Amino acid sequence: MRLLIVGMNFKTAPLELRERLQNSCADQDIVLAGLMRHSVIREAICLATCNRVEIIARVGETDHDENFLKAYMGGLGGFDAAAVEKHFYVYRDTDAVRHFFRVASSLDSMVMGEPQILGQMKDAYRMAVDRHATGILLNRLAHHAFLVAKRVRNETDIAVNAVSVSYAAVELAKKIFGSLKGKSVLLIGAGEMSELAARHLIRQEIGSIRIANRTFERAREMAEEFHGAPVLFDDFPSVLPEVDIVIASTGAPGYILTKEMVVSALKKHKDRPLFLIDIAVPRDIEPAVGDIDNVYLYNIDHLQDVVDANRAMRKEAALRAEDIIAGEAEAFEKWFNSLAAVPTIVALREKMEGVVKGEMKRFSGWIERLSEEDRQHLEWLVSSIINKILHDPTIGLKEESSEKDELGYIAAIRRLFRL
Amino acid sequence: MSQVFLFKAALAVYLASTVVYGGSLLEKRVLTARFGAGLMLVALAVHTFYFVVRLFAGGAPFVFDAYNALSFFAWAMAAVYLALQLKTKTRVLGAFVSPVISVLMVIASVDFGGRIAGATGLTGTLVSSHVMLSIAGEALFVVASLAGGMYLIQDYVLREKTDRRLIHLFPSLHDLDRINHICLLLGFPLLTLGVITGSFWARIVWGSHWQWDPKQVWTLFAWIFYAFLLHQRLAIGWQGRKAARWSLLVLAALFALLFLESLFISAHDFI
Repeated sequence: MRLLIVGMNFKTAPLELRERLQNSCADQDIVLAGLMRHSVIREAICLATCNRVEIIARVGETDHDENFLKAYMGGLGGFDAAAVEKHFYVYRDTDAVRHFFRVASSLDSMVMGEPQILGQMKDAYRMAVDRHATGILLNRLAHHAFLVAKRVRNETDIAVNAVSVSYAAVELAKKIFGSLKGKSVLLIGAGEMSELAARHLIRQEIGSIRIANRTFERAREMAEEFHGAPVLFDDFPSVLPEVDIVIASTGAPGYILTKEMVVSALKKHKDRPLFLIDIAVPRDIEPAVGDIDNVYLYNIDHLQDVVDANRAMRKEAALRAEDIIAGEAEAFEKWFNSLAAVPTIVALREKMEGVVKGEMKRFSGWIERLSEEDRQHLEWLVSSIINKILHDPTIGLKEESSEKDELGYIAAIRRLFRL
Repeated sequence: MSQVFLFKAALAVYLASTVVYGGSLLEKRVLTARFGAGLMLVALAVHTFYFVVRLFAGGAPFVFDAYNALSFFAWAMAAVYLALQLKTKTRVLGAFVSPVISVLMVIASVDFGGRIAGATGLTGTLVSSHVMLSIAGEALFVVASLAGGMYLIQDYVLREKTDRRLIHLFPSLHDLDRINHICLLLGFPLLTLGVITGSFWARIVWGSHWQWDPKQVWTLFAWIFYAFLLHQRLAIGWQGRKAARWSLLVLAALFALLFLESLFISAHDFI
């Protein structure tokens, strides 16, 4: 199929190299124009993200395609391609299809199952389309890859579970509150961890956020940033009855949130659930708090367990995803093989013969009344007409396929004759 | 003949959906539960068609024998559950609802040894409404309690933190609590109306609204229990674990009473 992918990613190449390459790939106009100018390249897409840079191309008949692409990328990044040879990966034909599908499905990502890569691929494809760099093969490949990614997402658990501690906390909160819309959050301690958690929570459109910190100034700074309200550290127990989620991350040596405090806060809290997240080491929240009805207490180890388990689940899901991808790559190859000249000629002939057979049947009453000799003549006549009609397109297809770009012709014929 | 076929077809698809739902619990995959919900929807459609055919076939009263009352019970549960799916994402709750439906349908198909009371003069819109309202109300309560049961399981796993896949599979506490709430809220007026229409009918047939019939006593208990639950929710502000625990308790109590009641001979022997 003469599909070729050359690139480097976070597994094969150091950051420094990728950086240089990615910077120079930022201008797709230059990259794609440079590629298309070369006669070896028939179609091309350039995918450049912070974790990978690769060129997906359909190439003509030549032995230099691989080296050409490597040298081209080296030229872009300003390094000697031969010197960094070992950092490149190269995929061809079926392997390339599978690789492309794997990348789209986020199986090849640093964090498996992350959703950004698909968007980045769509952007890269659109840019190639805008610059007329894609043709029949890459168009079909890209659309097929987007479908595969969708299937993998829907049919496996690859993307359903959190793989970071703060996101795991958000997921758990959702399992308690359904949606976090309008929920109020109290951060005790305004450190890095709680800031990260706050960012995740704000994305869930929470109602209000309150921040208590030993240094009030810091609480006020952070409150400003998140449009929240600062709370004096010693006052935090008084706001407990009004909050749904508490994230504690102070550097205090002992428990700062005790069972007694929570019990008295819950008197006004009725039966509303309270989600307590203790990401401090040593712990901030007395473990016995977790025994209270409607209180769910998770500490850093619990969350880390969730993350580990989710990572394992993603790995399991990845096996299923690989199956899906293998099947789809096969389907793609089947489509591609149908684009070869010989099967197309055969299909065209069969179609014609089918038409003849159908018409002969329609007139069978009349044909049967003919003499044996006349019938023979009729059949000869019809088959010779077919042969004459098909002669030129058959020769044409064979010539095209041995010389230059036959895919477009074959695709057109298949479409026009509905083969 | 076609009625029997439709009924059996509905039964078969309900059973299939139960199996698929069971699979989703074993596999711990939400996607499988979605197929289960799809099957339940098909079963509900066939089942509805069965009732429509039955209605137009005329002759036999609509839902008055035990056979049809149970099947209507199952139908109401499926309808309620699937309608709730539109509001909340609680696909896996079906794994709790569908077995109950299947059991009801199986019992209905066995035909209770021909305890078809059909009986004198049990026709007319009053009886129809009495039966349908009461059954719909009770079906809603069963769904409420199943959601409550699921709430307690989810609460337990969230606390124990051991089975993360189950946490992920099960709906959120909030959604389960909401289903419990909605079902009580809708089921209670239905049951109340069912009791009222029933008592009017009793007045006509038996001459008095009330005659300490075991069935009547049971219904009164059910009504009081649910009134209590709803009161606690709306006035006292019960929710979550407490509400879930009590609605399960009430369901268990009513089952126990149902068993006791079956020991007595009732004038109300058509379920």
